[in-house]
Amino acid sequence: MDEKTRDEAAKDNFRQEPKVGVYVCHCGGNISDIIDVKAVAAALARYPGVAVAREYAFMCSSNGQDLIAEDIKNLGVNRTVVAACSPSLHELTFRNVLQRAGVNPYLHEHINIREQASWVHKFDKAGATAKAIKLAQAGVEKVLRKDALNAIRVAAEQRVAVIGGGAAGMRAALSAAGKGLEAVIIEKGPALGGKLLELGRLYPSGEEGAAVAGKLEALVRADSRITVHTAVDIDFVSGFVGNFKINFKKADGRSEQVKAGAIVMATGYEHYKPAKGEFGYGEDANVVTLPEFIALMKNSPAGRLALAGKEIKSLALIHCVGSRQVEGVHKPQADGKINDYCSRVCCTAALHTVNQLKDKYPGVRVYDIYRDIRTYGMQHEEYYDKASKDGVLFMRHNEADQPVVASDRTGHTVKVKDVLTWGEELEVKADLVVLVTGMMPADISLIKSQLKLPSSADRFLQEVHLKLRPVELANSGIFVAGTAQYPMDVTEAMAAAGTAAAKAAILLAEPDIPLEPFVAVVDEHKCTGCGLCPPECSYDGALMMGEHNGKKVAVVNPALCKGCGACVAVCPVRAINVAGWTLDQFDAMVDAIAKE
Amino acid sequence: MSKKILIITTNHSSYPGADAVGQARMGYSANTYIIRVPDPVMFPEDFYLRAFDRGIGGIIIMSSGSDCPYEGAYERLSKRVARVYEQMRAKGIAANRLKLTTICTVCRAAFLKEISEMEKAVAAV
Amino acid sequence: MSDIEKIEVDTLVVGSGIAGLQSALDLADQGYSVAIVEKAPSIGGKMISLSKVFPTLDCASCITTPRMASVSHHPRITTLTYSTVDAIKREGKSFTASVTRKPRYIDEKECISCKRCEEVCPVYLPDEYEQGMGAKKTISIPFTNAIPQYPVMHPEHCIRCGACARACPKDCIEFLQEPAPVEIKAKSVILATGYETTPMTAKKQYGLGKLPNVISPMAAERLLAPHGPYGRVLRPSDGMVPGSIAYVQCAGSRDKSIGVPYCSRVCCMYAIKQAILLSGSLPIADITIYYMDIRAFGKGYEQFYNNARAMGINFVKAKVARITEDEKHNPILRIERQEGDSAPAEVQHELVVLSQGLVPGHDAAAFGLGAENNDYGFVKLSDEMVSSAVTAGAGVFAAGVVKGPRDIPDSVVDAGSAAMEAASYMRKL
Repeated sequence: MDEKTRDEAAKDNFRQEPKVGVYVCHCGGNISDIIDVKAVAAALARYPGVAVAREYAFMCSSNGQDLIAEDIKNLGVNRTVVAACSPSLHELTFRNVLQRAGVNPYLHEHINIREQASWVHKFDKAGATAKAIKLAQAGVEKVLRKDALNAIRVAAEQRVAVIGGGAAGMRAALSAAGKGLEAVIIEKGPALGGKLLELGRLYPSGEEGAAVAGKLEALVRADSRITVHTAVDIDFVSGFVGNFKINFKKADGRSEQVKAGAIVMATGYEHYKPAKGEFGYGEDANVVTLPEFIALMKNSPAGRLALAGKEIKSLALIHCVGSRQVEGVHKPQADGKINDYCSRVCCTAALHTVNQLKDKYPGVRVYDIYRDIRTYGMQHEEYYDKASKDGVLFMRHNEADQPVVASDRTGHTVKVKDVLTWGEELEVKADLVVLVTGMMPADISLIKSQLKLPSSADRFLQEVHLKLRPVELANSGIFVAGTAQYPMDVTEAMAAAGTAAAKAAILLAEPDIPLEPFVAVVDEHKCTGCGLCPPECSYDGALMMGEHNGKKVAVVNPALCKGCGACVAVCPVRAINVAGWTLDQFDAMVDAIAKE
Repeated sequence: MSKKILIITTNHSSYPGADAVGQARMGYSANTYIIRVPDPVMFPEDFYLRAFDRGIGGIIIMSSGSDCPYEGAYERLSKRVARVYEQMRAKGIAANRLKLTTICTVCRAAFLKEISEMEKAVAAV
Repeated sequence: MSDIEKIEVDTLVVGSGIAGLQSALDLADQGYSVAIVEKAPSIGGKMISLSKVFPTLDCASCITTPRMASVSHHPRITTLTYSTVDAIKREGKSFTASVTRKPRYIDEKECISCKRCEEVCPVYLPDEYEQGMGAKKTISIPFTNAIPQYPVMHPEHCIRCGACARACPKDCIEFLQEPAPVEIKAKSVILATGYETTPMTAKKQYGLGKLPNVISPMAAERLLAPHGPYGRVLRPSDGMVPGSIAYVQCAGSRDKSIGVPYCSRVCCMYAIKQAILLSGSLPIADITIYYMDIRAFGKGYEQFYNNARAMGINFVKAKVARITEDEKHNPILRIERQEGDSAPAEVQHELVVLSQGLVPGHDAAAFGLGAENNDYGFVKLSDEMVSSAVTAGAGVFAAGVVKGPRDIPDSVVDAGSAAMEAASYMRKL
């Protein structure tokens, strides 16, 4: 039977009077040694709504499955209860039996009388048997109240919109296109490459950032499935999974819209900008950030490192500027929060830069003032090693004892309470102070507010679950790639972007997106339009008040509903339920269990 | 009133947790009836009161706690249970007949402890 | 051998740890067929034996089990557990893998996972899943949430008493079962062979694994797991509840003397996590972490580290020169503090965990498919600046720790991109 005929058959079955078949498994003694399976079958055979009740040695075996299929064919059984092992092992097995026999697979209830009865009540055979009967009866009550369910399908645009054309954005588009999807990169800057274009030589390959951007861009330009829009301003983003609309203005003033089934947020980061006066920054020209220093070194001739004509013979790096901030020690940012996170890449970036500095200007004295050196990557420890060998002097301070930069005409003095030398306050003279600044997320407040995207306490985009769903946002169909989520280096952004594309490809694997049927369903006849349920919903747009046939009712968007049931509990007239898990079912189960 | 204990478990964590107890062949009383839901947040206050009214001795809600896959559900659930306690008090139902707890997929000892505590509570009624 | 089992799929995934599982799912969910080969009797890799995982302290089993179940129920994924990949040959644009199913000595098609054989078996063995701290039967299901739930018999310990065969309700004990060859044909290969921890015996100065109360972090994971061997934290030598516990960081990383100069990335965080869990289960215990640098670099990690400090866990920047023990088996650490007073000192603890590093689990280059190793035996990428999964071998991709140490979040993210590279490659074939 193809899917359509099967669905029709399922509907026919559903229209018929419910006839429940109950099947009690012996599990080869695992159940039947403790539970009197014959007594269970006999008690169920007499139970209202039950057409037939059987017991068998191994229900999961092919003979056991045939028993059910034959009862469906010969007796018109159209709902089943199987009392056996845990549903984690065989619920799917029996759903498939129903499906093969032309009954909607969700008209099955699986009762666990092994893991949750015979195996745990070894010394109470009568009690275990009584319990099995009650659980099976409750199962019958539940299955009698079940509806045939079918996957909900939402038509989807077969296109991925990638917002941001940096390293992560280009990789996400490449990976999506590699799978055969159309991808559209929407970049606000004039060129592809993002922050790569501003960086110097990157670890671990040692290539210039612009060269890496060039390699990725060449691949992007060579792929006919990828469309690139640069120098555009996004002004309005709307829609939901399968059907997003992104409106933007091009440089020439014209507006354009991209329709997409999925969105990848590859909006990147900004370098932390020290506040005026933070370690002398902005007040003294000889205090620069690491990116500024990288540019300075790139533009300086061999043999003489100089800033504004003055040679730099010594420099002091201060780590964790704008990262790992501590309440009470650091001034909060504009939004009142401190940056308490580690920016992950700066230790390695700083030491990689120092390595280059020492190669180009071996005579420059370098002081490295840090809290912990976090060179965690495969080759990163080598940069740390080389810096030590090159004579870089490391000084470590506690978070509460921040280094102090004092400037005068002869240069800078950095005072450090160095724990490596018994907490002594040391003073180092440096011609240049380099602040090793961290990352902050790029400003995407407009898109965030229009799509209601969640952010973490650190202001980066918040994934659903760091391990289970690490690149998915709570908004179905929207994924995050790269530093929009958290600081990471290029190699890590490649992994994150590839995975974001994978999730988009999975979502768009078919022309319409199949969604789990276990979502909230409103009974419009019962709904009084009181409006109590939408505030209970945690998923934006999943449940709203609307109008239907001239009546105010609650409306569920099945593409956004997760089926948690938070709305169900507050409905005063029980007009809303999660499909497959209705309150009436549970009340009837409780009645069956409580009955003496 | 019976001594029956209704145990509400979640598909995500406490139902597999109950299976883990069985796989380890640990024992507990047969007066226990496990039902499973996506999330207990779906039950209104009157579901619990009705169950007590029908003769259920005790109810243990074994939620997924911080492992809960649904946003905001655990917070809503605990607030709701607090309201159920108020209504139970008004009706003179002992508070220890209802318990909200968190059980993970391998929390076998915690599972058994919850049942034995509820048994005591139910026996004392 | 005409009855050799043959499987033809789009992608062969070698290894079923979290990276292997995730890359298999990410391919199968796009419509590709996948075969996973796992050498252990259960899928799930190292992660399934962990207690809770940083930085959210989710129960590791609760996170891994759903992934394992999705894989085992997936209509497009074939899983071969307790099986080894003996060789992979490239033939034109496809690969043929020779795989051996090791005998479990049971009929897997008939087994109903009832554990009756295990109940009656009279022979106990140290349980490697519990890091040797508990006992298991000679025929047993490897652990509670193993998938598949089939028992494995260890014939070298079996006394052929026949009790299991008599107890089995399905008559599926097969004492004479032989290894079975399987041939898997695939268009692409994902290497996800993961890691082993640096051995306890690596360092003479740390007791060569002979001090009973100096344990591995994997053993500590089992002690902390809600379903662990003792159900609580006890030290191995005498079953005492330890009152003072120390972690020795970089005990197998950043150490040229044992050939592991790189940072293993996960040890700071797992030590902090275990310390937090320990202070929950042993509220009055003193917990000290001896470290070089705390590398809490992931999302939410720094905040996790700060929480640990606020909970009173002691962080001491010190090198541990050697570990000995007193007559009561209390470990004695000779430390050189790197802050404050740097004079060498001896400190006594009641239990010590060596924060071991990660080394390659399998020599993936040995398959001879063109994928090369770096100096430390991890798989090298052809250009990691533009792709996180493409190796020098066409059609051969790498996911997770096979490329170098990374934690669970990083491995899960990595796996998806490996799946995507394999998908792109196959579309262009």
